[in-house]
Amino acid sequence: MEKAIRKYWPAFLLPTLAAFIIGFIWPFVWGLYLSFHKFTTVSKTTFVGLSNYVKVFEDPTFVSAFWFTAKFTVVSTILINIIAFLLALALTRGLRGTNVYRTVFFLPNLIGGIVLGYIWQILLNGILTNLGLPLLALDARYGFWGLIILMCWQQIGYMMIIYIAGLQNVPGDLLEAASIDGATSLQTLIKVKLPMVMPSITICTFLTLTNSFKLFDQNLALTGGEPAKASQMLALNIYDTFYARSGPQWKGIGQAKSVVFCLLVIVIALVQLHFTRRKEVQQ
Amino acid sequence: MKKIVALVLALTLCMALAVTACADASVYYLNFKPEQDTQWQELAKVYTEQTGVPVTVVTAASGEYETTLMSEIEKSDAPTLFQVNGPVGLANWTDYCYDLSGTALMEHLTNESFALKEGDVVKGIAYVVETYGIIANTKLLEKAGYTAADITNFESLKKVAEDIQARKDELGIDGAFTSAGMDGSSDWRFKTHLANMPIYYEYKADGITSTGAIKGTYLDNYKAIWDLYINNATCEPALLASKTGNDAVAEFVGEKAVFYQNGTWAWNDISALGAENLTMIPIYIGVEGEENQGLCTGTENYWCVNAEADQEDIDATLAFLEWVITSDEGRKSMSQDMGFVVPFDTFTGEYASTNPLVAVDTEMTAAGKTPISWNFTTMPSEEWKNGVGSALTAYAAGTGDWDGVVTAFVDGWKTEYDLTH
Amino acid sequence: MTKAKVYHDGAVSGARRAVDAFLSILLTALSLIWIYPVVLILLNSLKAETAISTTSVFELPTSETFVGLDNYIHGVTQMNFLSSFGYSVVITVTSVLLIILCCSMCAWYITRVNTLPSRLMYLLCAFSMVVPFQMVMFTLSKTADSLSLNTPFNICIIYLGFGAGLAVFMFTGFMKSVPLAIEEAAMIDGCNPLQIFFRVVFPILKPTAISTAILETMWVWNDYLLPTLVLDIKKYRTIPMAIQYFRGSYGRVEMGPMMACIMITVIPIIIMYLACQKYIIEGVVAGAVKG
Repeated sequence: MEKAIRKYWPAFLLPTLAAFIIGFIWPFVWGLYLSFHKFTTVSKTTFVGLSNYVKVFEDPTFVSAFWFTAKFTVVSTILINIIAFLLALALTRGLRGTNVYRTVFFLPNLIGGIVLGYIWQILLNGILTNLGLPLLALDARYGFWGLIILMCWQQIGYMMIIYIAGLQNVPGDLLEAASIDGATSLQTLIKVKLPMVMPSITICTFLTLTNSFKLFDQNLALTGGEPAKASQMLALNIYDTFYARSGPQWKGIGQAKSVVFCLLVIVIALVQLHFTRRKEVQQ
Repeated sequence: MKKIVALVLALTLCMALAVTACADASVYYLNFKPEQDTQWQELAKVYTEQTGVPVTVVTAASGEYETTLMSEIEKSDAPTLFQVNGPVGLANWTDYCYDLSGTALMEHLTNESFALKEGDVVKGIAYVVETYGIIANTKLLEKAGYTAADITNFESLKKVAEDIQARKDELGIDGAFTSAGMDGSSDWRFKTHLANMPIYYEYKADGITSTGAIKGTYLDNYKAIWDLYINNATCEPALLASKTGNDAVAEFVGEKAVFYQNGTWAWNDISALGAENLTMIPIYIGVEGEENQGLCTGTENYWCVNAEADQEDIDATLAFLEWVITSDEGRKSMSQDMGFVVPFDTFTGEYASTNPLVAVDTEMTAAGKTPISWNFTTMPSEEWKNGVGSALTAYAAGTGDWDGVVTAFVDGWKTEYDLTH
Repeated sequence: MTKAKVYHDGAVSGARRAVDAFLSILLTALSLIWIYPVVLILLNSLKAETAISTTSVFELPTSETFVGLDNYIHGVTQMNFLSSFGYSVVITVTSVLLIILCCSMCAWYITRVNTLPSRLMYLLCAFSMVVPFQMVMFTLSKTADSLSLNTPFNICIIYLGFGAGLAVFMFTGFMKSVPLAIEEAAMIDGCNPLQIFFRVVFPILKPTAISTAILETMWVWNDYLLPTLVLDIKKYRTIPMAIQYFRGSYGRVEMGPMMACIMITVIPIIIMYLACQKYIIEGVVAGAVKG
């Protein structure tokens, strides 16, 4: 059987492999190569060793974008997961209209980041103006919280769905046993439900972490990094380095930034993998 | 047999890759001004109908010209015609600029100073000349008992503005000046255009045309005019940060403010007020002898032809440009539909601009006033402008002091200049 | 669900009913807040340009400011929005179909053939899911340009390459639990691997295929940066690109038509969502479990 299939690799493997090489492997390897070079056009590159990487960490905009992104990621991950979990709890109580609520909460997730960004820019700027506060693009604090609100609005529904699925998988007899033992609903939540939905929590945490860390469209549309790059996140900073700064040195630095960014994301993923593995052993 | 079927699947994929475009001479214009996008598209269509040469016009989204140009110029089908905003912009693109000397554009250019040169090589040619100042609603001015002629220097501007501000309820307005709009929608009015004033006078005093280190000799005057703007606006200074450029236009068109700093390009936005009710006065900042000062006239729109393009595309582009500035269709479109003042000698008579704000400038120049040149094209970078803009906003909001503006202006200039040189 | 429900119904008490009532009110309020942004855009898209500013954005349209569908007509005709809509549809449909077809085949091969190349492919796919787009952004746009993958039809190859990770991962995750017996039976009946795949395996894969298709559709339809950098912008714009282009120069944003176009983008999404809600939610859950 295996042998027969193997003969058909041009049909089964080749199309995906070819596209994968064009769309991922080759650009990835090439990008890695270019990060050690100085270039304006790719036909003329000069090897500069690690100097691009040195410049990445000397660039104050990258460092500040990193901290902004880190802060944003932590706050949004915590907020989204807590609210999504609470909503999931409320929606697994068998309330009337549960389906309607679920439909509404999930809806924003289907709208793209650029569109979402503009919707919230209009809304939040309206609120800020009427309160006599600076616009989103003029005060990085409002830009930050604007992004948080936007991210919550978009992601909570998605995470909620995953938590609902997790909670529904908690066996009924376990809950019954807990109630017979006289556990309060809070005890049931902490002792029974939470451990049982741990896989969902890990997944949701991971998804929100990476989504927030890699955020681009929403950042571009909502604040565009204004004022003076104070609300710029890493992905936008990299884009900016590539395409908004002219000069022969910037492309190489941009590519080096992307490699650093990529490494950061991989570290997050590995940490996540480590935690999932440990959970799997326990269960 | 089955193997062939399998291979066909894989081949279909490769077929899709093999499609390549054929290479006839064509023009690809990456346009900077979204307001004129429609007119350029129509003009391109007419040219293609007449000559058969395909002309593509793409307009970049606002604030994304550089990013779009940067990604497009790298492509195999790169723009043949693009634009830079002046010497600073040129520095980044100079390798891509085809020498325009001896072309029809150069021959028809009315004034050599509208060509962007590096030595003897003509790298870019201006195609539109614009003017800015303080646009004033003369109807409201008269209602307050003044005429535009009463304002001849900073002192009289201040007196009139403060008097109007004090009597705003009686006059039925919200303030003398429109709000500033310090977000990206209109902060360039202050961080770029208004900042041109102290730079102009410093260059003039020092007898230079650009510098690597600005001294900030006239920053006190910059402060004076900025204070005047923000303290006599339609809202409290602290609230300026919550206004957008759209708000400023709405206030001016709604006759809630008398003065609105902007330029000839804004005509379409405010034409509802009627040409007879509008004029433009120079931006006075309290410099000795400024009574003789005119409006700020210059350009930051230079056409450049991509030197890296195929020669036949370059030729096609030059032919297209010649047609634009000499044919009836092109001249009509540029002068009337786009409303440009075009610095070519073919634009005379019926092809002179009909923009009333331009007429104000012509009159002033005829009366012997000295136009202020656009020195902001020598500002070291966008970063610098943003720094000044943020500092101005913070100062208006009360969260920063004027020293912040001075630092951004003087120190920021040096930092950014050194970075790019 | 059912088991938990039985348990809850059995334990209904006064206190619990009060909590439920409170929660219902809270959730209703929250739902209203949740849809408010969309309603706000809808209302403003019906107002005249002059009645939309940051200060008046919360005002309801009045008989004076109501302009009906003017903004929609303006947005559609002037911005050529329908063609953007068409390109978005073409790109999404071709890309997702291609991804489903190629990746399911690839995933079957990987699970059934245990050789070094196939293990390597699997690892690379998993790796590609982690790598952020910025890493390959510049080089990918160069590659796409030199291979003429810059049209709405060809760009699906890029999407196949970049989207393969998630799809292969989801398909293999499911495939591992499919017993070999049926396939072997088909083999003995004289089917070749292609026939086995299309007649036997693919039908079993259908639920996973739907879930994957939904996740990939959500991604491709809303993607902004990839098409912006890859597509030939002289000719083609997708919806997110068109929305981004709405910002006029010198800061003049045509708010009315922009909001109208946002609504044109959002309404089909809402309709599609209401129609296939079940699949979408299943897709999300499946994606979470496999991913």
